[in-house]
Amino acid sequence: MEVVGTIRGLIRSLLFLLLWSSCEGRDSELSYVTCGSLVKLFNTRHNVRLHSHDVKYGSGSGQQSVTGVENADDANSYWQIRGKPNNPCLRGAPIKCGQAIRITHMKTGRNLHTHHFSSPLSNNQEVSAFGENGEGDDLDVWTVQCEGIHWERDEAVRFKHVGTDVFLSVTGEQYGHPIRGQREVHGMSSPNQHNWWRTMEGVFIQPSQEPLRHDEL
Amino acid sequence: MAAKGMNLCNVCCLLLYATTAVLAGRDFYKILGVSKSASIRDIKKAYRKLALQLHPDRNQDDPQAQDKFADLGAAYEVLSDEEKRKQYDMYGEDGLKEGHHSSHTQLDFIPSSQQDRNIPRGNDIILDLEVTLEEVYSGNFVEVVRNKPVAKEAPGKRKCNCRQEMRTTQLGPGRFQMTQEMVCDECPNVKLVNEERTLEVEIEQGVRDEMEYPFIGEGEPHIDGEPGDLRFRIKVLKHPVFERRGDDLYTNVTISLVEALVGFEMDIVHLDGHKVHIVRDKITKPGARMWKKGEGLPNFDNVNIRGSLIITFDVDFPQTQLDDQQKEGIRNLLKQGSVQKVYNGLQGY
Repeated sequence: MEVVGTIRGLIRSLLFLLLWSSCEGRDSELSYVTCGSLVKLFNTRHNVRLHSHDVKYGSGSGQQSVTGVENADDANSYWQIRGKPNNPCLRGAPIKCGQAIRITHMKTGRNLHTHHFSSPLSNNQEVSAFGENGEGDDLDVWTVQCEGIHWERDEAVRFKHVGTDVFLSVTGEQYGHPIRGQREVHGMSSPNQHNWWRTMEGVFIQPSQEPLRHDEL
Repeated sequence: MAAKGMNLCNVCCLLLYATTAVLAGRDFYKILGVSKSASIRDIKKAYRKLALQLHPDRNQDDPQAQDKFADLGAAYEVLSDEEKRKQYDMYGEDGLKEGHHSSHTQLDFIPSSQQDRNIPRGNDIILDLEVTLEEVYSGNFVEVVRNKPVAKEAPGKRKCNCRQEMRTTQLGPGRFQMTQEMVCDECPNVKLVNEERTLEVEIEQGVRDEMEYPFIGEGEPHIDGEPGDLRFRIKVLKHPVFERRGDDLYTNVTISLVEALVGFEMDIVHLDGHKVHIVRDKITKPGARMWKKGEGLPNFDNVNIRGSLIITFDVDFPQTQLDDQQKEGIRNLLKQGSVQKVYNGLQGY
């Protein structure tokens, strides 16, 4: 009886160890958003993806517009997560909560940007896409606001602008022609239910090992 | 008896030859110019090189260019896939029963004549992949997780292939009206479901800036057609020690005035940690260059060939001023007369 009891106990602890170690494995970088990754950002309140295209605002700054779209299959909704200007982040390194990043539009190479102009539909702060080949100016920098240590892929986070302190938001106003149905994306000063975003589709880069020493080959 | 045996043997041989000739189809290994035991990496390299050479745009006056290029694409498609290669090795080309759709793996850094297919295609995704010079030297692998929408069957029907068409309606005898109408077909309904898979990109040794690694079909889906591609575009980062020019590496070393005059010995730590030993016992002038063959980057097409490491020396003069005694000492030591030559250095005089 005693022997059976101890064996049971052993098996239980073994299983626990196994589960714990595999849990550790699951909790690895696979679930984090990392530097260099290409992501689609989904607003959880209005179910639209952050989007940009070669269409300029007709008012405000006249820069390239940033909107929210319902489609899940448009490559113009991909954004690359990069470090601050002159401070590149290591490829594959998980982004920390509170870290300053740039969010660069894949197709046009312009950075998510905001400034003191009014948005066309709601009179909040205009959010545009600015720069060339990934280089713009200091108003391209945002911090990721989340709980915990790293930005997790399935976590809802907020993006706070460094410089004007607004939060990236959508409140539902829709554009007409030529971008009918797309929602206005703007900056709002207070954190609320409209500024939660999470990653959806994308290409998430895992951290690499150091390259092999040539002598070993 | 023997003669009969011989005949039977001959017939067998002939039959075998005939069947293999029939079964053989194309010799993919020969088309790529690789041995049967070539690694995937060798096959990729061979394909890249030949694709550049055999592309129809570059061989406009060769009537067989399209065929040769198609053969090359087919060879690569089979030999770069483990399963297909196994089947091909056993049963030949005809043994590959599946009708894989004719996706010619087009290289993206050739200004290619876009294949005019009527099948609509989803968007391509281009990811700028930053690589360090260390990775260019030794190679590396990057794992990525691709989460993408995939079209799945759903109940019901949907409208597809919508287009504008002109319709003529008769208003009366001899009077017609042309109107534009939206006409759609009916297709099985699809919905987009997100799926995830892990992909691996190899950073090959010697890879150059702007080179692309395509993953066919991993781009954005198209409901009425094929998915686009995912392409990784290499961006080589600047390095604090080495500068790349082609396969050569350039670096600068500052030595003291004493070392410049009397000689020195030092090690330069290379990109993979090995040391390059430098010995100098003569006078080293500022701007002097030393060539170290074989210490550059591996060549992308043949990693056994390496470029050179070119070291340019500059001299650090002493910071503190010399007193009269030291000045006298130096005059006596060096015994170099006054030169004071005045000339136009900017025009080569």
